[in-house]
Amino acid sequence: MTKTQKQNFDNVVRYTLLTIWLVIVLFPLFWIVATSFKPDKDWLAWPPVYWSEEPTMSNYENVWGGAMEHTETQYTQSVQKPFTALRNSTIISFISTFLSVSFGAFIAYGVSRYKVLSETRMFQLLMLRMVPPIVLVGPLSLYYTTIGLIDSLTGLIAIYFITTLPYAVWMTKSFIDEVPIELEQAAEIMGANRWTIITEVVFPVIRSGLLATFLFILILTWSEYLVAFILSKTDAVTLPVELAKYEGSSEGRVYGRQAALSVGITIPLIIVGITIRKHLARGFSFGMIRK
Amino acid sequence: MARSEIMLQRTKRYKKMVLFPLIASIMLILGPALLLQLYLSFNYYSIYSEGWWASEWYALDIFSEVLSDERFHASIIRSLGFALASTVGCFIIGFGLALLMYKNFRLQWFYYIIFIIPMLTVPIVIAYTAEMILYQKGPLNGILSAIIGRDMLIMWITNPDIALFTVVLMEIWNWAPFSFIIMMAGLASLPKEPVEAAQILGASRIKIFLEIQLPLLRPIIVLALVLRFLEAMAEFPKTWAIFQGGPGTSTETIPVLIYLNTWYYFDWSKAAAMSYIVMLMMVVIILTAINILQKENKRIAQVQAN
Repeated sequence: MTKTQKQNFDNVVRYTLLTIWLVIVLFPLFWIVATSFKPDKDWLAWPPVYWSEEPTMSNYENVWGGAMEHTETQYTQSVQKPFTALRNSTIISFISTFLSVSFGAFIAYGVSRYKVLSETRMFQLLMLRMVPPIVLVGPLSLYYTTIGLIDSLTGLIAIYFITTLPYAVWMTKSFIDEVPIELEQAAEIMGANRWTIITEVVFPVIRSGLLATFLFILILTWSEYLVAFILSKTDAVTLPVELAKYEGSSEGRVYGRQAALSVGITIPLIIVGITIRKHLARGFSFGMIRK
Repeated sequence: MARSEIMLQRTKRYKKMVLFPLIASIMLILGPALLLQLYLSFNYYSIYSEGWWASEWYALDIFSEVLSDERFHASIIRSLGFALASTVGCFIIGFGLALLMYKNFRLQWFYYIIFIIPMLTVPIVIAYTAEMILYQKGPLNGILSAIIGRDMLIMWITNPDIALFTVVLMEIWNWAPFSFIIMMAGLASLPKEPVEAAQILGASRIKIFLEIQLPLLRPIIVLALVLRFLEAMAEFPKTWAIFQGGPGTSTETIPVLIYLNTWYYFDWSKAAAMSYIVMLMMVVIILTAINILQKENKRIAQVQAN
């Protein structure tokens, strides 16, 4: 083979393999969207219906418009409150992420400049994230019941704050490390105190990094299931937990509604994730990978 | 001299100030839960008791019951197997894709964006969607039948021999992007000179990969494997939402078994004892992992500094 032939062959192999994985990735996503436009009879039809011949908006109307017209499946409408769940998810994830990133950034600055946490302590901090949550949620729910935090937004915010803090500290530290210390020294000579240096020199320099950290942690918190599932009952239900409520005792899961809700939950995350795609590797590797 | 002392004092004050919220929230939220867990594993709490504070002292009986429970042993092995299989699966696919993609080519950005979507999808959404797709008479078997030309009705969900493998497949779909982005970053940060030098000397591509690129990538590979393994040990939403541990006990991983004991059998004390054992086990695994990461992190920093 000549060199060009070889390159062409390489390209064919590359695009074939990549496209196979592309189809594997896209098919389930297509299936969610397709199902959200299907009437009941197409949900579990055999042979499978890939795109309904009579596409309908009724799933969306039912979930997001609160329509009650539905009679074929007899699940009760009252237990589902998608808007409450949307509100809860928004409040919980934004507040806990904000707290986590702001406190995390101050700790990270201390670690980066004054070693307030030794390297070993920094790695021990990761334990907060690495111990599987299941080992603690049981006793935590009893404790929350005792002190009245069960099924409350505050309770969930507190636990999400703690469990995302390692990401916040590590990720913001990786950005602060890249800020040249001369900037701060210059500010110090001009008489700035530490607070001013941090809030008016360091944070503005890394603001895109702070935003990326914020959005990254937002993704984690927004999609969390187990902790929210156990620590909420009715009032503090979040969107991932709400999904499970589209289920009837006689007819099983109400797939069309679930799909319509899933589309609403997932699209914002995908958009946010794609926006910060350059920082995802840094986030997931706790800032150990910086490119 | 005086100046450095002032600096030292200031640093101490800063340290106290910034660490206070962290330590306070750990002591207020996690501390009591940990104590409660310890208490429950020595005192038998049933839902018929007045409250958890009225539990009966069982000494080490609950622990010894759990330690000799074969279902618990099986769940540990299952979890380790699941975590191992899905970690390796995610890694092979993620690294493979990264190798195909790290050199610039047209549409690279397009494939990159599509390939990261699975890890941005809410796990519980993946579970419900997978359930629809994996039904015996669902689209996946529909497509497989069409490709093969005769009916392929694999029982992805109801066959106990396949069920755990199905969860592994979902986990791989969900998290292969994690290995992919990390390996993409790793490959992009490799120094070009050694590879070019080897090419000039006439080394084959496979030889260059095995003897130059792979050793340089080792710390990053370790990072990708370790972090994914730890997350896989905690996987709950996908396993739970579709299988609830079934069919039989075939998908009963550690998180599922603890959940069942707490909220289905109301055997809080047993669940607490299990949790304690699992926590100790995980702490050992995590400390080992952290030790590895701490060493590799220095090497990664070196590679990334190039």
